[in-house]
Amino acid sequence: MTRKRRRLYLLLACGLGVGTAAALALSAFRDNLVFFVLPSDLAAQHPGPERTLRLGGLVAEGSVVRGSEDGHPLARFRITDGRDAVPVTFSGILPDLFREGQGVVALGTLGQDGVFHAAEVLAKHDETYMPKDVAEALKQKGLWNPKAGPPPPASTWNTLAPAKAGG
Amino acid sequence: MTAESSAAPGGFEMASRAAMFRPVDALSSLATPAAPKAPGRGLHRFANPGRFLRLAAALQPWLTAGGLILTAAGLVWGLVFAPADWQQGDAVRIMYVHVPAAWLASAGYLALAVCSVLSLVWRHPLADLAAAEIGPVGAAFTGICLATGSLWGKPMWGAWWVWDARLTSVLVLFFLYLGHIALIRAFDDPTRGYRAGAILALVGVVNLPIIKFSVDWWNTLHQPATISLTGAPSMYLGMLWPLALTALGYTLVFAALVTARTRAAVMERRIRALLMAAAAREDGAVPVAA
Amino acid sequence: MTHLPYIAAAYALAVLVPAAYGLAAMRRLRQARARLAALDPRLAVREPGR
Repeated sequence: MTRKRRRLYLLLACGLGVGTAAALALSAFRDNLVFFVLPSDLAAQHPGPERTLRLGGLVAEGSVVRGSEDGHPLARFRITDGRDAVPVTFSGILPDLFREGQGVVALGTLGQDGVFHAAEVLAKHDETYMPKDVAEALKQKGLWNPKAGPPPPASTWNTLAPAKAGG
Repeated sequence: MTAESSAAPGGFEMASRAAMFRPVDALSSLATPAAPKAPGRGLHRFANPGRFLRLAAALQPWLTAGGLILTAAGLVWGLVFAPADWQQGDAVRIMYVHVPAAWLASAGYLALAVCSVLSLVWRHPLADLAAAEIGPVGAAFTGICLATGSLWGKPMWGAWWVWDARLTSVLVLFFLYLGHIALIRAFDDPTRGYRAGAILALVGVVNLPIIKFSVDWWNTLHQPATISLTGAPSMYLGMLWPLALTALGYTLVFAALVTARTRAAVMERRIRALLMAAAAREDGAVPVAA
Repeated sequence: MTHLPYIAAAYALAVLVPAAYGLAAMRRLRQARARLAALDPRLAVREPGR
């Protein structure tokens, strides 16, 4: 009984130690654990033109211009986090989910002119799952503009009958 | 010449000798040398392998049948009848396999950790066997989670893999499972393997909250949780039901696999003990001239 | 159905891997039961065989 109790306390003490060590390590490497930086981070401090980094945020509404340059598709848009926005150029194929209002993460460098030159653009979708007709119904009723931001609280739509919503 | 003198010298031989005779003498308590005799000592009631085998054999058909039926129903529902997502299209159907596998990867590790505590603190003999059998099953589900996530990430995000905090911490979980599988089998003396495996498993527990909260603590490419305990799930109910079915079904499948493997492990330990006992008797009956 | 190859691969993995584990566990269980019965019939009857 006492040996068991001693082993239990020993285990708890070790657990406390490992947990503390992990928490300290994680807070020490906090800056390296983020997958991307936000436009307001770049506005606060220019990382330097050589540094490759990931920029994440929403594609600003009305900012997407798809063109071409030397036969390659060239897209211009702005990535915003609501406070600041960074203009981005990207030459390549955008992911299927790319649209205005969509979360994206772009890998590239920030030029001296303040334009972010992306070498790769990934789409970051949100945690909301919604059938097409429910989304249409919300848009028609004016409850949600996907270009402007996330959908309304789930409890307002997650029981909508699709038949009714589609009509 | 006696049996003792014909035995090879060395402490290990002698120790295993002592263990060998136990099964022959006391069939009912075989392989549970550490089980205390005090009646009703909660945990150790299930340490009796005979009782475990009877209980597990009775439970097995329910776990297996329930797991198969629920999983099949959930998968068909998710693949055929559930609506496509407004922006992801049909690719969202990968969620019905990816999310349950991810939950089971973490839940399985939690089960492994519980077994490890039982093993280290209470020296529970069945917890040792269960821990050794949970490892490979948990690794398989973590592998399914990683692979299906990759298959989902390519068409949606545009990348098979990214090194964000969520994906990386789940990869670490996978390696923890693999390390546990290897470590627990790495010793000639199984008890030392169980001890080392349990310590590794418990150190790895620190990874579980990191996986869970990685999407909230750091910005990641992976989206945060859809289903929380506090709020309404941000998911259409027609998509939530098949997910709940596959999650429950996968849980039962996981339990059925671990139960079947642990039953086999208990019987294999019994076989080993019987073979060693038989070998010992033979040694004794036909003494070798020195 | 959009993205069919990805969906098919994901579902195949999710079904085949647990199925393979299940078959392996069944075989292992049957083998263990048979060996135990061969060694000591008294022990084998303790588990209601199926």
